[in-house]
Formats: sequence, C-alpha cells, structure tokens
Amino acid sequence: MSYLVLARKWRPQLFDDLVGQEHVSQTLKNAISADRVHHAFLFTGARGVGKTSAARIFAKALNCLNGPTTEPCGVCPSCVEITASQGIDVFEIDGASNTGVDDIRELRENIRYLPSSSRYKIFIIDEVHMLSINAFNALLKTLEEPPAHAKFIFATTEPHKIPITILSRCQRFDFKKIGQVAVQERLRFIVDQEGIEISNASLTTIARNGGGSMRDALSTLDQVIAFCGEKVDDDDVQTLLGLVSRRLLVDTLEAVLERDTRQVLALVQKVDNHGHSFRQFCQQLVELTRALVILKVVDQPEDLVDYGQSEMQELRQFSAPVTLEDLQRLLEILIRTEADLATSHFPRLTMEMVLVRLSSLPAGVDVATLIERLETLERRLAAGLPPEVRVVERQPHPVLTDVPPPQEPVEKKSEALPVEEKADKNWAGLVEFVSSRRRPRISALLEQSSLLLLELPRLCIGMPGKYFSLADSEMRQSIQDLAADYFAARVKVEFEKLGNGDKIPPSLHEERAQQESDRQKKLRENATDHPLVKSALDIFGGTIETIKPIDKGFV
Amino acid sequence: MTFATITGHEQQKNILRRALSKNRIAHAYLFEGPDGIGKRLMALAFARALLCLKSTGCGDCPACRKVDHNNHPDVHLLDAEETTIKIDQVRSLQQELSLRPLEGKDKICLIDGAEQLTPGAANALLKTLEEPQPNTLIILLTSHPEKLLPTICSRCQRLPFSRLPKQQLATILCQRLDLNSTEANVLAALSDGSLKKALGQNKQLYLEKRHNLIQSLSALSSGSTIPTFSLADELATEKDLLPDILDIFQAFYRDVLLMKHGRPKEELVNLDLLESLEKQSKILSTDSLMIKLKALDSARFHLQRNVNRQLALEVMLIRMTAA
Repeated sequence: MSYLVLARKWRPQLFDDLVGQEHVSQTLKNAISADRVHHAFLFTGARGVGKTSAARIFAKALNCLNGPTTEPCGVCPSCVEITASQGIDVFEIDGASNTGVDDIRELRENIRYLPSSSRYKIFIIDEVHMLSINAFNALLKTLEEPPAHAKFIFATTEPHKIPITILSRCQRFDFKKIGQVAVQERLRFIVDQEGIEISNASLTTIARNGGGSMRDALSTLDQVIAFCGEKVDDDDVQTLLGLVSRRLLVDTLEAVLERDTRQVLALVQKVDNHGHSFRQFCQQLVELTRALVILKVVDQPEDLVDYGQSEMQELRQFSAPVTLEDLQRLLEILIRTEADLATSHFPRLTMEMVLVRLSSLPAGVDVATLIERLETLERRLAAGLPPEVRVVERQPHPVLTDVPPPQEPVEKKSEALPVEEKADKNWAGLVEFVSSRRRPRISALLEQSSLLLLELPRLCIGMPGKYFSLADSEMRQSIQDLAADYFAARVKVEFEKLGNGDKIPPSLHEERAQQESDRQKKLRENATDHPLVKSALDIFGGTIETIKPIDKGFV
Repeated sequence: MTFATITGHEQQKNILRRALSKNRIAHAYLFEGPDGIGKRLMALAFARALLCLKSTGCGDCPACRKVDHNNHPDVHLLDAEETTIKIDQVRSLQQELSLRPLEGKDKICLIDGAEQLTPGAANALLKTLEEPQPNTLIILLTSHPEKLLPTICSRCQRLPFSRLPKQQLATILCQRLDLNSTEANVLAALSDGSLKKALGQNKQLYLEKRHNLIQSLSALSSGSTIPTFSLADELATEKDLLPDILDIFQAFYRDVLLMKHGRPKEELVNLDLLESLEKQSKILSTDSLMIKLKALDSARFHLQRNVNRQLALEVMLIRMTAA
C-alpha cells in the first residue's frame, strides 16, 4: 500500500507552490532576504489551507545548505530530511498528543544544545491550541528569549484558544481560505500531472465542495478518481458528491412557490429515491434561494453567484413574480431547517414538514405596504371623525395615538371630556370602571372596601382586616393607574386598615346588601297590605310563608 | 465477511474494490451513514480483502479467519469505553501504529463511533491521521459526521453510505423472517433502512403493539384529561422502547399528512391501518398535524436530554390532543 493520497503527494515544497497565501509567503521571503527573521511564528487559518506546509517550507528555507534562501533547493541533505520528516534539527511536534507541561520541559531541556548539523534548531508545534495552560506558561520565558539558534513555528486552526501572552510573543500570520479559482487551477495542474481526464465543470464542482480548503478539495478529487478511474465523467461526480441536480431544486422551489403541496411531496420522494442526503438537499435549496435573492437585489450578480448566463436568465424569469419578502422568508426558514436536519431523527419527515409549511404560508406583505395601508386608513378615519382630528393633530406622534386599541375607550374619552364632568365621578363609578376593565380581583376588593376620603388627588380607601393583606404596593400601583385613568387626573391612593368597631361609611357591597334587605322589607309590607292577600288570609286562615316578587320592576 | 455478503451499498463496494485493484487506497477513510446499515461490516470486509494472503478475501486463509474472529494482530478496533473514546485510547493506538505490521503487510485501525471521540482525543489523532506510517489504514465510522471536527473530516477520504431502500429491506425481511408482504413493508418502513433495527427485538412492538398504541393515541381528545395522563403514565414505563414508540406515532401522523396531500398508497408506512388513516385525514387539518408532529419531535429532543420522562410525555400528549 505505497499509494500516497494526492494531498500528501502534492504537498507544496516551495513558497511558490503555496496557493492563495501570497501575503504570507511574500512576507516570509522578504524576512529571509533582509535577514530579519523573527524567532517565533504563529500560523493560523482554516483546515487545509497550507499552515503545516508553510511551516515545513520555511524550515527548509532557513536550514537549506545554500541558505538561508527564499528558494530551498530540495536536494541538499537538510531539505531532503525535512521533506521526509526526519530532520534531526527540525522537530515536528504533535501539540495535541504532547500536551503536558512535562513535554514542554523536555523541549526546554533540548533547546539549549546547538543544532547538530544545520543552522537552526526549529520547533514546529502543530495543533498548538491543545497544549495545556501550564504547558503554555512553561513555554513563555523560552519563547520570549530563545537561544539564537532556535526558531519556533506554531500552527493551529483555533488561535482563540491560545493565551494572549503567547500570541504577543509571536509573529502571527493568518492564512486565508483559498479562492475557488485558485483551487481549480491547482487541481487542473495536478490532474494533468497525474494523467487524469476530467472536465472543467467537474473541477469547479470539486473545488466548490472543498469550501476554500485545498486538502478537502484534493480528498474529494481522490475520492472521485477512486470511483471513476483515469477518465472522470461529469455525472459520476454529481452522484458521488451527493449533489442534487439543479433541475430538481428548481422544480422544488417552483412547487413551493406555487403552493402545490402534492407536487412538493412527490419531489421529496424523488430526492429520497435518488439516495440524496436531505441535509445536502436543503443546503443546495438554500444556495439556490440565495441566488434568487441576489438576482433580485443586485444588477450585476455575476461575481456573487456562480451560474451560467442561460441559467441566470432562467432563474431571473422564475423569480420575477415572487416578492423579495417571500424569498427572504423562504431563505430564513430553510437555513433554520438546515441546522435542524443535522440533529433530526427523521430527516425526511423534517424536510416534508418544512416544505408543506412553506407551501401553505400565506403570501407575505412588506412593511412599507402595511404602513401605507395604515396611513390610508388613518386618513379615512380622520375624515370621518372631525371633532377628534384636532385633538389628534396636536399630538406629537399621530400614528401612535390615532388608532387607540379598542379596549381602551375611556382613555380617549378622558382626553375629550370637559373638566367639569369630573364632578360626576364618584366612588361607585370608579368601582364599576375597574370591573369594566376586567380586573376582577381589584374590583372585588374595592367592592368590599369603603371610601374614607376622595379629595383628588387623595383617595383614601379603608379595608376590612381580612382583606388588608391583599393591598400590597403592586395593588396600590394598579389601583392608582386605574383611578388616574378614570378621574383623568393624578391620584394618590392610600390604604387604611379598618377595625371591627370603627365608624365608617359602608362599602358598596354592604350598601347593596342593605338596599336588598330594605327592598325585601318593603316588598313584604306591600304584599301584606294588599287587600287581595288580606282577604285570602282571612278566608283560609293561613300565614304568609315567603314572598317572591313576580317581576323585578314590581316595587 | 466479504463484500458480496453485505446487502446493498453497491456504489460503495465498487469504490473500495476499485481502490483495491488499482492500489489507490487512501490512508484514512471516513464511512458515514445511519446506524445499523452495514458500515462496520463493510470496513471488516475491506480489511479482510486487504490482509488476505491470497489478496482476494477468500475466507479460507489464516489471515481471513483471524479477521473474522476478531483476533488478527494487525487489525485494531477502537470502540467507545463507556460513552466516549478517550485520549489514552488514542495514545495507545498511536503507539501500536508506530510499529511495523506483525503478520500482514498492512496495519488497519477501525474507529467505530468516531463522533464519540472526546475533543482531546480527536485532536490527538490529527497528526496521525494526516501522515501515518506507510502501510497504515485508518477507517473512521460514524453516524453523525457533523459532530466530527472539520479538521478530522478534511484528512479522510469520505465515503457516504445511504439507508437501504425500503423495498430491498422488505424483500430481505420477507425471506429471513417469513413475514407476509404487508408486515414486511411496515417493518421495513419503521426500521428506517436499518437492517440491524429491523431484525432486532422490536419486531413484536412494531407488528403487534402498534395497533393498540395508535388506537389509544387517536382516541384521545382535548377533553379526555384522565385517559391522556394514564397513557402518558403507561408510556413512561416503557423506558427502552420509548424512542421506537415515538417513531410509530410519528410514522402514523406522517402517513395522515401524506394522505391528506394525496400521495399514493405505496409511500405510506401503516398499510394495514388505511381505514383509520383515512378517518384521521378527514378530521385533522394540516396545521394540527404539524403541531402534533412538532410535539413528537420536541418530546424526542427532551427525552434525549434526560428530562423527567413522564412529564415530557404528558406535555407531548397534552399538546397533541389540544391541536
């Protein structure tokens, strides 16, 4: 099994091979030619963009027999050894396996000795973010002032895990993700060298699948070659990468936008039959929707979306009748679904649910239209109610106050009411007002309590002992607010606890009970005085058991 | 185990066979796909083909037999201890991989359940995974590739596995378990393309108890408080079967959803309950179906996170009946 995967076989060996990281290689080269090489470097960036490769090239450049040079020769013993990872003066340490402080102590022990054959002793610590915090701290002094013959190169994908004290001692280089075109060019170079036939379209697909990482792209290429052999077919690439054909995607979006749930479900079935992963499907739907949104908002979308001219034309036609709001809503829901699918137990059902939901959503209305409609409504309302218009127009925010919520009619009234009407407002009215505002707890409490004093803004309420505990500050605040609404003036509410023997005005509840018993008494008198009743009593010699009013309005 | 005895996955077999014949075997593979569909079998078959003394995966030579009996000295298997794969396991594996192969010409390492690698273990594996010793093959198996570090995925050649098609699974079930075609179809659909699950102990649950469960669930209405709680109570006692029971409910309401939107009968799961499905699809609106399905989904989510089982089920049933 002597086969080397492409990513290893074609690992860059020169600064010039390092694709897409010109800013790094140029800086390093200049440092070497100007003889201003720092002693500690930190290479960070996403996976597969060339950090480890850059570290090795840099090590070779520094230690090359003809150097330090910007172009390591690749043939001298030092270069050969480093390429084979066997250099005795270049230590490539796996930071994720040797994480402890003891490993660092060993390194410090080692660093004191001069290099055995080369110019520098170079320590490459890969995956340095996994070092323990103690290990990092043990490294600090060495890293600040290492011996002249030592160089450190750290490589990591997660620079945020590195202590700030380490960061400040290193020259930091951020590796960028590699652009799709650059990846594609490199892929083309490699397939030509390997003698593999592959179309540009497939290479584009592979490069896109890599997501800016050269190693991912090369792994994919390896996979494709393993499947297809020397001659690569475009369709095979699509199937192998699990890519859903664009036709199917467009059909799905079309069915969703036409609200054809039946067709939507049929398409899901089709996707499943093809054996596509639903996550991939959803990702591609997101991409397509994104393209549609971009086509809507940008005039020259060629740089932003990656479609041919004819496809672009088709998509433009397709998206023309759809509003931007609808597309954005679609995009938003699909993006959320994509995350859900990752953890979903039954991805197909998740996808079906979302697509059915999307196709049964009512058409969206954008805020501008809504506001416009609101304004029209306002104008018409205003025209219909002339007396209130003046009041309204004096308000600073007509939009907000013009259409008061229906449940607050009193507020409106209080603004319009003349001042003298306040005199009519009494305690009973307040209690009724409170119960009309659907505050049963407060109105019940008020009915049981009695009014001690009403001299606005003072409102003094007496409560029987057993209810007094309910009257906390929250209750006071609510009553205060309600009373302020009712009297249309500021009110200060006070509570007083009533003892049993106190002389107080009766509460509404008591008053009502009193009235009721008065009424009963009067009714009885009336009934017994009635001549008909009297004669009946006389004739039959009976007594009056109960008296029931026939009609409420009788008395 | 040879490629031929594994059901389905023709494309994946082809890729591996081609890699073998052209000698283009990557040093690291990532087999990704749902549980119980044959990833591990495939990895073992691949290992056998690679180690076989006759280079065919014959099954007769000593190397093949050792692989079959799990005692080949050059095949290392890394499994989760308890629930995670720990860094010490990875370190001892690295130690093993740094040595030359003992018997064959290759050393093979299977990491089953790679998503269970702890972050430390996964990071410790990175350098080994990138540039192992020559003649080393590392195969990672996972049912949740999105839980792996991107740096791990990028170092492997990925080989996605898909679920077994329902029809194929049903045919196998018909042959192996002696079921009639409706039963086989129901079982195949419910086991979600996983042969392991279909052949497992859930057969009885799926085929017999399903009717009762669905019956008692669809009998609930928003007024029937006591039956709702007693069903929740009953379900809560079935700790181990609970995920499968939720599957059954989900499949039922999905059928109703599909039926409501006029999908053909072949796509449905509960083919033996057509009458009840039709009835439900007339009563229920799409919205209330969505609410029911969502309630099921969130119950599953909560149950995976160790909440009070009975409470979760009560909430689920209340939501479902209220919809």
